[in-house]
Amino acid sequence: MVMVEERTRPRAESALKVIDCDVHPTLKGGLKDVYPYMPKAWVQRFLQKKASAQSIALTMKYQHPNGSAIREDTRDAEGHVGGSDPKVVVSDLIEPFNMEAVVLNCLQAGGTVAALASTDEGTVIASAFNDFFINEWLPVDKRLRYALTVGPLDPAAAAAEIRRVGKQPQIAAVSVPLINILMGNRYWWPVYAAAQEFDLPILVHPSGADSIYQGTPISSGGIPDSYIERYVTLCQIAESNVNSLICSGTLEHFPKLRVMFAEFGFAWLLALLWRMDRTWRQLRHETPWVKKSPIEYAHQQLRFTTQPLDEPENAADLGKMIEMIGADQLCFSTDYPHWDNDMPDQSLRMLSMADRRKIFYDNAAKFLRLG
Amino acid sequence: MSDVEVSAPGRAGRAGRRVEVGKLEEFPVGKFRILKVESREIGVIRMENGEVHAVLNRCPHKGAPVCKGIVGGTWPPSDVGKLDFEREGRVLTCPWHGFEFDIDTGYEVYQERPARLKKFKTDVEAGTVVITI
Repeated sequence: MVMVEERTRPRAESALKVIDCDVHPTLKGGLKDVYPYMPKAWVQRFLQKKASAQSIALTMKYQHPNGSAIREDTRDAEGHVGGSDPKVVVSDLIEPFNMEAVVLNCLQAGGTVAALASTDEGTVIASAFNDFFINEWLPVDKRLRYALTVGPLDPAAAAAEIRRVGKQPQIAAVSVPLINILMGNRYWWPVYAAAQEFDLPILVHPSGADSIYQGTPISSGGIPDSYIERYVTLCQIAESNVNSLICSGTLEHFPKLRVMFAEFGFAWLLALLWRMDRTWRQLRHETPWVKKSPIEYAHQQLRFTTQPLDEPENAADLGKMIEMIGADQLCFSTDYPHWDNDMPDQSLRMLSMADRRKIFYDNAAKFLRLG
Repeated sequence: MSDVEVSAPGRAGRAGRRVEVGKLEEFPVGKFRILKVESREIGVIRMENGEVHAVLNRCPHKGAPVCKGIVGGTWPPSDVGKLDFEREGRVLTCPWHGFEFDIDTGYEVYQERPARLKKFKTDVEAGTVVITI
């Protein structure tokens, strides 16, 4: 008989308060799960066209080499896919790590409304997903917080959606699936105005459709040829958008706007901000609405989640990198239930407890208003 | 061919020496003339208002011949999409990396921790420009 060792957390880890900024819920049964939250006319349309939102339709070369990006070991007792049962998220993630809160961000909705659905379909689907999670997930546990999804193809409708559900107390952020219009573009301003009005941060994350479909943000230089190539270059999307948000003056125009970049990594941030700071100082007058160093805007209005953590041969090197970036910039995330997740006990152990407290709890509590 | 003119030398080895560098009318308005004064290259400019400024021809950023840069104005911090213009003729923009300096004060403009040009005291005495080095 094989004995399975019970996992117990070291005392120091147990004392660490944790907010997980990136957890991915999904629907058990695909789009039909949210039909109860749609007008009948739209349900009939989706039924007749046999629409499905079971998953983002990835092209063959971008399929996960092991069959799925979702961990097999996160299935519920009935075998449903990981992340499809809120009680399992509580028992498998929140309870074992004694998390204070987790931020639910549904990529199934994001990818669909960013690339697969029409503009109006996207608006209806985003609202239906939001109502589904608000009604069927959030009552399960107060530690479940939700990033409401908006359709990116109609900023006015997106702003209306924020105003429709943004006051729900367990809403933590506005998830904006990115398209190929950079975030500093005034196209997005109605969305930012609504988010700022409700004191909600914008949450951006690879939608799953990126670098695949026309209209999504595409990695630079050419078309990636494998899952790995695409995965590694997704950070370029965040780099371009940080650059755009600052240079366009959008963060200056919306001084209370907060944007969290999830799952884009952060090791690139130092190089980006150094380059931005240098170039701004040299050519400031081209964008006079950028009134202070880009580094200051980033520290005041942008945050970056930690997963997927890079793993240099000498772990201390990552610690030095974080020290240079500033521990105040980062917020812990697991990416549960995805294959490349980082769990709290194994993450960032090279840092001081003071910095770990900031990254695992304090920064997110403040930025997402979860404290 | 160098466009740096050699000026009359002052007496070497003492701080605060006064060097006559030419008649006022020999310095065009709004354009640096670069002079070699002993071992230094110094740019001298006559402003619209008649003031004369002397600047070490070396950018504090990376050593560029800063006085060969643009003498013009600049676009101050403004709201998004709005463009203002000010300090016309009073800003020196380095020809290398674009650092902008206020010619009056020597300070880089609109920076919390500005770089600063090395400037020299100037006087106009009986129509002659005198620099104190």
